[in-house]
Amino acid sequence: TIMSISSGFEDITLRSQQPSQTGSNDDSNCEEQEPIDAQEIYDLISTISDPEHPLTLGQLAVVNLNDIEVSNNPNHSQLSEIIIYITPTITHCSLATLIGLGIKVRLERCLPKRFRVTILLKEGSHQSENQVNKQLNDKERVSAACENDQLLKVIGHMFATCQ
Amino acid sequence: MPSLELEHTFTGHKDKCWSISLHNKLPLLATASSDKTCRIYNLKTKQQIATLDDNAHTKTMRTVAFKPTGDFPSLAIGSFDSTVSIWGNDLNYEDLSETTQGEWELMALIEGHENEIKSVDWSHDGSYLATCSRDKSIWIWEADEANEEFECVSVIQEHEQDVKFVKWHPYKNILASCSYDDTCRIFKQDEYDSDDWECVANLTGANGTIWSCDFEKKEDGVVRLVNCSDDSIVRVWKSSGGSNNSGSGSGDGLPSTLKDEELWTLESELPYVHKGAVYSVEWNKEGLIASCGSDGKIVIYQEKSNGRGWEILLVNDLSHEVYELNCLKWVNNTELLSAGDDGTVKLWKIKY
Repeated sequence: TIMSISSGFEDITLRSQQPSQTGSNDDSNCEEQEPIDAQEIYDLISTISDPEHPLTLGQLAVVNLNDIEVSNNPNHSQLSEIIIYITPTITHCSLATLIGLGIKVRLERCLPKRFRVTILLKEGSHQSENQVNKQLNDKERVSAACENDQLLKVIGHMFATCQ
Repeated sequence: MPSLELEHTFTGHKDKCWSISLHNKLPLLATASSDKTCRIYNLKTKQQIATLDDNAHTKTMRTVAFKPTGDFPSLAIGSFDSTVSIWGNDLNYEDLSETTQGEWELMALIEGHENEIKSVDWSHDGSYLATCSRDKSIWIWEADEANEEFECVSVIQEHEQDVKFVKWHPYKNILASCSYDDTCRIFKQDEYDSDDWECVANLTGANGTIWSCDFEKKEDGVVRLVNCSDDSIVRVWKSSGGSNNSGSGSGDGLPSTLKDEELWTLESELPYVHKGAVYSVEWNKEGLIASCGSDGKIVIYQEKSNGRGWEILLVNDLSHEVYELNCLKWVNNTELLSAGDDGTVKLWKIKY
């Protein structure tokens, strides 16, 4: 069933964060102690479960510390940028968009709003690289996908292993 | 250098505000949000006068547009739930003062698109409503005076991907559409068959989704269009007029259905200011262009006095703090509104 939903991501568009998971509380929790760096981003997303294997994205090396770029502006009233390159386990992985979406949603929920997150497939890692990249970074499609209950359920399962 | 001064912040939405519309005769502002409501504010008193929800839509309200004609105010809302709702107020213009607000009622629910509606727009005389969707199609609906019956007169399927935005010319039955397929297309009503809308031009060259566009607010002369893209560039295009019916040279990337093609050319790329997707662009009556996007900037451009290209009039950074901006609308030649992911709508004035 996961497969059918994934192919449906082509047909998906996501909803923004749940209001309860956004806002100043998150901002202060995440930030005050220490600046957000690649390690912290890695810790947030490497614990997400793969939708079809009983392993995490870190264990499968879908996400790697070296493939996370963070340019964190010390002035928190300015914008900061994060780029994450993901490596699907196989080049025709039909779940690449779902995995990318999971990472996007996880970071939208956890990070302060000043971060602009770009998720890209590592060059040469997937046969539909451009198509998947475009979809993952289309704000409107991501927002609509987040209003798809079936998809949110799957993403919820992927997050079960996160702290 | 001129700057933008914040005059007011309209609050109320509990989630992203995607789209705003201004009534052409009354001081009414409508706003559409992911919180599944549309709010109506009085632009003069700054008071919210209505909330349209009524469980009409089960998902994000993505787009809103006031109808420019009719005996009483009405509007269309397009939703991610794939339907379009039409709302009307039972008071006529004379009665709709600041103290009496009237009731906003759901008058019709339009179904037809297969999935998320991205944009809706009324033609200049209110005869047609255009709607577009991720299903790659544009539907043109003919409305009756009472806004109760909507007949689909044409389904346009020229785009290869999601149609993100539709916009009518301010004075003519010309429609422009923007798409995830990185193109912008121009459609004209057929001279002999009013239900037939022909694609007369395909504006290519952007390196990313085209999010929005707007026609120059001119009644006659050369038709120009500005569009904005995910590639962070704002482009001005112009029609070199007249049909080009040579019949030869089909290798220019134009679709085969293009019978009466027009020659449209890229006139300028506006000065590069934005970093990231540009989501909204609008021309005012005086000829200024404003754009906004994910970087939170509002940029206003003016055409150089010698007519050779454009220059920056002003840049307003972090207009909604760190939030992205989804839509902007000119109120008049010196005031404009912006809508952001923080759910607010801000009213700005250019200070010279």
